[in-house]
Amino acid sequence: MRNLILILLTMVTLNSSGQNTENKPLALSNTVRHNNVVKIVRFNDLESVIEKSDNKLYVVNFWATWCKPCVMELPGFMEVNKKYQSNPHFKMILVSLDLAKEVGTEVQPFLKKNKMDVDVYLLDDNKHMNEWIQAVDKSWSGAIPATVFYRNGKKLAFKESKMDKNELEKIISKYL
Amino acid sequence: MRKIGLILSSIILLAILAQVNAKKMENTSEHKGYKIGDAATDFHLKNVDNKMVSLSDYKNAKGFIVIFTCNHCPYAKAYENRIIALNHKYAPKGYPVIAINPNDPKIEPQDSFVGMQQRAKEKGFTFPYLFDEGQKIYPQYGAVRTPHVFILQKENSKNIVRYIGAIDDNYADANDVSHKYVEAAVDALLANKPIAQTSTVAIGCSIKADK
Repeated sequence: MRNLILILLTMVTLNSSGQNTENKPLALSNTVRHNNVVKIVRFNDLESVIEKSDNKLYVVNFWATWCKPCVMELPGFMEVNKKYQSNPHFKMILVSLDLAKEVGTEVQPFLKKNKMDVDVYLLDDNKHMNEWIQAVDKSWSGAIPATVFYRNGKKLAFKESKMDKNELEKIISKYL
Repeated sequence: MRKIGLILSSIILLAILAQVNAKKMENTSEHKGYKIGDAATDFHLKNVDNKMVSLSDYKNAKGFIVIFTCNHCPYAKAYENRIIALNHKYAPKGYPVIAINPNDPKIEPQDSFVGMQQRAKEKGFTFPYLFDEGQKIYPQYGAVRTPHVFILQKENSKNIVRYIGAIDDNYADANDVSHKYVEAAVDALLANKPIAQTSTVAIGCSIKADK
């Protein structure tokens, strides 16, 4: 009995300490979820979100409201997200490359209008494009849309072009 | 003991498999096109004034600042004034700007030839703004986004690619630029010095073509 209590206590402590360490980056995604609050981040912040070691498959899509092929592929992405959302090992993240000053006038209205239930970050790091684009993928020329797949901080796939629903699902099912 | 051996060998096998898998990272984005040092093709494209333009028309040029750009893209628009300034500064020094719209107007109607003529007039372009009709030139260069710059240097009647990339490091604010990549590259060429940064990447609009 005593042992059991000890084990339980250890579990609780471990659990809460685990939460503590993750609290900072997680706080971002919690505010984003469901209410379409777009968190404006630098690349370092974004890295800590998409390259987490939590055994989840991260599907990270770089887009912008003004980018036609991006906007065209988003309905497919949203369908796929709906399908896998409840899977604890799946996480889709949209990274908007709109201007930070247009978050309220362009990005949020777009998300609301299209009823997009997904975590959205706005990457406001224009002066370091030459560094972070290459950090995401050496082959990325900077054209969007682009989608990158990570698990536990390791890149699994990268695609620089528009993707339809089937293509996206094919990659997801391969790694999920 | 045998069990442990079995477990160990499975772990090793799994580790090997994981590594093999890691090496196979999917990447469908291989870029064709020019690398630094390649000789770039000349072209014969229609300018907004309806005259045809080729690089070979520029007998006295030392090279070119070839910029794939367009009407509709916010990044391209953000750089219009800076492209005009580049031509103003470097055309007299032998490196004129040659702008080329690579987009298919069937996909992006704003990038039609008439749209180009309007934009060139509105902005007072002092350089040729050419239409890559049939989208034949940009794939040879390997342009993938707008704006996308290729600096060429004339050498033994060839046009050698010396720089590929962005204009500077801040599309959003011309007053907050720390690295003027194109200016630095042309300045280096003019001074017969090696270019410090021969290629850069930046976010841009993907080139719109009917594939």
